[in-house]
Amino acid sequence: MNSVDQSSEKGCVSQLTDIQEFLSRFHIFSDAPSGVASLFAYLAKREEYVKGTLIMAEGERCDRIFLIVSGQVDIFQYYNERRFHLQLLSCDSINYFGELALLSEFNWFFSARAWTDVSLLSISREAFSKVMGKYPESYQSMVQKIINSRIHRFIDQSGYLLDHISPEAWREDPSEASG
Amino acid sequence: MKKTAVDTGTRITERSLFYWILRRHRSMQLFLLLIILVSLFFKVFPLEMQKRIINEAIYLKDIELLYLYCGLYIGAVTIAGLLKYAINVLQVYIGQKILMEMREELYQHVLQLPLQFYRKMQPGTVTSAMTAELNAIGFFLGGAIAIPVTSVLTFVVFIGFMFHLNPVLALLSMGIYPVELFVVPYLQKKYNRLNSRRVKTTRAMANVVNESISGIHEIHGNTSYSLEKKKLSSFIKQLYDLMKSLFVVKYGIKFANNFFQSLGPFVLFLVGGYLAINGQFTLGALVAFLSAYEKVYDPWKELIEYYQGYQDAQIRYRQIMGIFDLDPPHLLLPLNRDVLALKGDISLKNVTFTVPSGVRLLEDISLEIRANEQIALVGYSGSGKSTLALLIAQLYDVSQGTVSIDGHLVDDLCKMDMGRNVAMIAQQPFIFSGTISENLLYGVQAVSGGDGFPDRGRILAAIHDVGLQDDIIRFGLQAVLSPEECRPFRDKFLRMREIIQTSLRDEFEQAIEFYDVTKYLYYSSIRDNIVFGDSVKREFVVERLPGHPRFVKLLRELNLEKPLLTLGFAIATQTINLLSDFKDDEFFFRDNPMELDEFERYSELLKRLKGPVPKEDEARQLLLVLALRFIPKKHSIVNLPSAMEEKILVARRHFQATVVNVAMEHCMKQSDGMPCNKDPRCGEKSGFIPFCPSKYLYTHTLLDNILFGAVKSELTFDDHLRKLASQAFEDEELLDEVMHIGLDFEVGSKGDRLSGGQKQKLAIARAFLKDAPILIMDEATASLDNTSQARIQGLLEKEFKGRKTIIAVIHRLDLTPAYDRIVVLKAGRIVEQGTYDELMERKGDFYELSRSEF
Repeated sequence: MNSVDQSSEKGCVSQLTDIQEFLSRFHIFSDAPSGVASLFAYLAKREEYVKGTLIMAEGERCDRIFLIVSGQVDIFQYYNERRFHLQLLSCDSINYFGELALLSEFNWFFSARAWTDVSLLSISREAFSKVMGKYPESYQSMVQKIINSRIHRFIDQSGYLLDHISPEAWREDPSEASG
Repeated sequence: MKKTAVDTGTRITERSLFYWILRRHRSMQLFLLLIILVSLFFKVFPLEMQKRIINEAIYLKDIELLYLYCGLYIGAVTIAGLLKYAINVLQVYIGQKILMEMREELYQHVLQLPLQFYRKMQPGTVTSAMTAELNAIGFFLGGAIAIPVTSVLTFVVFIGFMFHLNPVLALLSMGIYPVELFVVPYLQKKYNRLNSRRVKTTRAMANVVNESISGIHEIHGNTSYSLEKKKLSSFIKQLYDLMKSLFVVKYGIKFANNFFQSLGPFVLFLVGGYLAINGQFTLGALVAFLSAYEKVYDPWKELIEYYQGYQDAQIRYRQIMGIFDLDPPHLLLPLNRDVLALKGDISLKNVTFTVPSGVRLLEDISLEIRANEQIALVGYSGSGKSTLALLIAQLYDVSQGTVSIDGHLVDDLCKMDMGRNVAMIAQQPFIFSGTISENLLYGVQAVSGGDGFPDRGRILAAIHDVGLQDDIIRFGLQAVLSPEECRPFRDKFLRMREIIQTSLRDEFEQAIEFYDVTKYLYYSSIRDNIVFGDSVKREFVVERLPGHPRFVKLLRELNLEKPLLTLGFAIATQTINLLSDFKDDEFFFRDNPMELDEFERYSELLKRLKGPVPKEDEARQLLLVLALRFIPKKHSIVNLPSAMEEKILVARRHFQATVVNVAMEHCMKQSDGMPCNKDPRCGEKSGFIPFCPSKYLYTHTLLDNILFGAVKSELTFDDHLRKLASQAFEDEELLDEVMHIGLDFEVGSKGDRLSGGQKQKLAIARAFLKDAPILIMDEATASLDNTSQARIQGLLEKEFKGRKTIIAVIHRLDLTPAYDRIVVLKAGRIVEQGTYDELMERKGDFYELSRSEF
């Protein structure tokens, strides 16, 4: 369990520092200047979902990134009216989803459901833009990290799908076959 | 010949100013005259007493006589004063009463003027004419008869008295009046000309300001401030020059009056003094003569002022009436028959419509529409389809040809015939300030005169038909109800709360932290956690609590004040440090106990403070406010030390027991749906309402009352829960009550608090409720989303088919297949008509239009 989830006997100001410390463990926020990090910590919203609840649905307008504080989240997608499981995220592996929402407005192309009781932090695109507006020098590196995170997730998802792909889908490299 | 409103009598704008004065409230005016006559005696009588006091009482040294005359003198003066007071009051009363009638009748006339009139007329001109300019006439109206009659009679009586005292002296002192009779009218004419120009300039200036305010968005958008300023500047300058000249003349008149007034005593002292020295005139008579001369000038001055006032009022009156000097084109009510009940057979024969500039918008239109037929009018933009609809609705009058309904010429039908039988929905409907309900019933009320209102079931059905139900429910849920407003529905609202608390508890618990007297509430403020209720007198609002002696005493007794001050200090410090670069952006303060406009104040406070527990009251109160607003799960700026939770729960119990005297255990026992009203243990008497399941919280919205807890996050309080609750409430038929409250939602000026779609739906429901046999829709669904548009279209097809004649001006051609007939217009002429399939097969203009739309 992460420190943001624990109620503490510390002084009045520990909540913000706990969240900031939690955020620093994410690749996207890891090297952010202290001013930027504390603003994100301040603007992050806590969301809690009980097991089985839909966190976001395919086709809805995206507006925020989610960071998993505790619990597991099932990422899935419908294709040809069949439900395909893509990833099971938990706080100790790939523990974020919806990162592209920080950069652009689009409709979610996947859904997320609470696999267990889940505690999340979310940061909205509006908050991201407001902070970046004040710290433009950090913007480029943040965007790069968001894209890297996305690639990381893509590789993970592709690996999972390839593991489960039917044998018929396998083809030899045509160039090698002709040779 | 076309019948017009003139048939009912003299047109209001042709009446003279004295028409109103001589024909209205005559008995009251006669009574006023009578008082005036009586008052005259009491004006002259004191003069006679003056003379006798000097000549008889003082001269004969008779004390008794002195007392008698002085008594009579003061008695007469008092009665004269009281009568003058009565005359003034009565005068204003009559004037305002006439003004009221004039304004009402004129407004009625103005509203009936044809639409073309308003195309030329600036709203500012009409507004200023109906308000300020008429007011100025009102002051004149009251005294229009009384003042000249009083003045002339007073003048004559005093002159008579002066002749009675000494004819020669009287003649001499009268000598100056004829000179004045030439000078003053000369100046007055000059004044009138300037005044007339002043009224016109002021009006033009008002129009410019009015237009700027109406188009303020455009001005901001174009940064055209100096352009607009320039427009007004020329009028300001003109007005300045006019006012200068006007006052030069005005004070010239005043000077002339004063000069002539002073000339009189000069003659009197010279000649009267000479006569008195020579013993030809008694001293008493001279004093009385001087008093009489002074008094005789008052009515003279009043007459001159009256003349000025009359000229002024006359100019204003003629200018106002001049603006509206045309006949309403149709009678309001029918003559010698009842209002018609029409079936809806519409016939247009060779109809041509030309605008005043000479442009012909419609040419030779002939069209037969059967009763209950549904017609779509389509065409390129500017083809005249809307104009055609407006002609059928009698909003425009044809230039040539005829429009008739059920064989009656539309020209001959009165307004009420049309009002009862035709419902019209404009593309951009106008919504009046007032409630949703008032707007819905606007059309029905206008034609029924208050009778035959649709029942609640029909109103709710109309709202449902146009898809306005969810909006009305939302308005209802956001309403904060007073005990009186809530009383009829309170039990039902508490039942809704009970449904959420029992059968839907599991689902709602994810999104709502319910009020529970035994638990600390993490999604509620510390204030809510301690006070755990609300006072209808607003005694315990956050901003007042730090100054509430019993509350502060309680915090000190429980050693809670210091931790709260420390918390407030931490919030202030963290916020000031974190947000100093964002102190102008409201976004960063949404989840902070400090508000944007308080930033500087707290910033200053922190510079002064040496530690978290200041001595001075103001600083303590500021820090306490922040702490009391703090919501642990919402405000991440600081942490709530867990030791405080228990202390706050103890404070809650003490607050209930000692400050508001509420027995929560007793109140909780009443939670079986029975409101705990009259029992003092429930707090009702002291005006305090605890968060107790059996109590309605009058300071909260209806939604807060139903949820009975704090929303954990708007993000998780989603549509799913709303639908779940709506369904449960609908099953128990509780939603109608919420809609009833929602119908009382105030829509704001011009319906500004509604979205474009909501306004349009409201206008459609308003027309449906009127239930007229003919429905004219001028692109009535154009601003609605596709779902709402389809919903209305479905209604026309299912509910109105065979029941109403519908003429719909339509832009979106995919809606046309449902209509019985499509009429295609091009450049003011009908070029095609037929069913959708026929027209598509013909591959003519409609086909081309469809292709271009696609």
